[in-house]
Amino acid sequence: MNRTADGFEPSQTESGPHSPVFEYDRNYDDETMSLQREIEKQISESQDLISPSQPLEELVEEYAKEDQVFRQKLADLGTRFTHIRKVRGDGNCFFRGFGFAYLETLLSDDAELARFKEIATKSKEELVALGFPQFTIEDFHETFMEVLGHAEKKCSVQELEQTFNDQGISDYFVVYLRLMVSGHLQKESEFYTNFIEGGRTVKEFCNQEVEPMGKESDHIHIIALSTALQVGVLVEYMDRAGDACNHHVFPEGGRPVVNLLYRPGHYDILYNMQ
Amino acid sequence: MAGSALKRLMAEYKQLTLNPPEGIIAGPINEDNFFEWEALIMGPKDTLFDGGVFPARLTFPPDYPLSPPKMRFTCELFHPNIYPDGRVCISILHAPGDDPMGYETSAERWSPVQSVEKILLSVVSMLAEPNDESAANVDAAKKWREDRKQFEEIAKATVRKSLGL
Repeated sequence: MNRTADGFEPSQTESGPHSPVFEYDRNYDDETMSLQREIEKQISESQDLISPSQPLEELVEEYAKEDQVFRQKLADLGTRFTHIRKVRGDGNCFFRGFGFAYLETLLSDDAELARFKEIATKSKEELVALGFPQFTIEDFHETFMEVLGHAEKKCSVQELEQTFNDQGISDYFVVYLRLMVSGHLQKESEFYTNFIEGGRTVKEFCNQEVEPMGKESDHIHIIALSTALQVGVLVEYMDRAGDACNHHVFPEGGRPVVNLLYRPGHYDILYNMQ
Repeated sequence: MAGSALKRLMAEYKQLTLNPPEGIIAGPINEDNFFEWEALIMGPKDTLFDGGVFPARLTFPPDYPLSPPKMRFTCELFHPNIYPDGRVCISILHAPGDDPMGYETSAERWSPVQSVEKILLSVVSMLAEPNDESAANVDAAKKWREDRKQFEEIAKATVRKSLGL
């Protein structure tokens, strides 16, 4: 690990330990990137993609024991929610957490499932119409519909958990959610262009921040996903400001179906089991 | 995961065979292994590399297309965006988050809806328009910027060599 930690390890034999020399033939970028891959692998091996649900109090043990602000916020959160499911911190947690939590609600809501299935089925044609080559979206759409099929056949919550912890299936599901967000942003680009920073077009933004796996979600992703699918998402924000968790519902004024907890840089799923 | 990758690679191969983009041929070296491809890229018309035919190798990861392939020219190619060992360094070949070169904001990034064809087309435009802001070959970038004439001569020699002349 030390060897590549800064990417500019001094060459011991030629110039001594304290005078780093740029070695022309050495690929520092690759070393940095492989180190990053290594860290990602360590994270992924120590964490489920979607964890079993656990009582909210366990968070106190893990994170907030010595932290007054977080303890207070957790107490506040505990007045509205009782359980949490952790989602792996791999940059896809918003999409994966949303996907699991929403499908879980579909297990007991046939009408909503039928509505959603229609949106999902039609979405492929819409993406093709927007210029996505069919062969690049087909496999993701297929997997997405298969997972939806499990819910339609009333699989158990445990089976859904297994499906979402199967990396291959789970990642393909996430890709397709990302594509639906990208499709929605591009379709409504006239509106969303106002929210994009850095002088990028909506299409560039989608290519760089929405479609690639592992790219973290911002407000714009959440607004687009909840609007495109017409599924209300409530996010509880546990940051350092104030002593209560602020929450916000997307889209504005919607009825929340999925509840997520946001701690800077990460989303988990919240439940009220009372 | 490798099963999905194989399915996708077969679909892409079919696509490239049915509708080959101009100046590009690509496919698996051996149909028993779809994860190693060879590509032949013609130097784009009216550029320094016009007339050349440059062979390259593409190596696909087991989780393709979630992650991008690696690409390496197997011939000599003196170019700002190609490492001296042949590896191609353009934004579309980098996994999200890996941005060693600080590419410009409009540069295409890898995502699962990109494709071999998109990569090869990006490589063709890279040959036509070197980007000396994100140099993989510092010498080549320097020559391209400061001694265009010599760069042109090296490019011409490379073209001849690629044709076995």
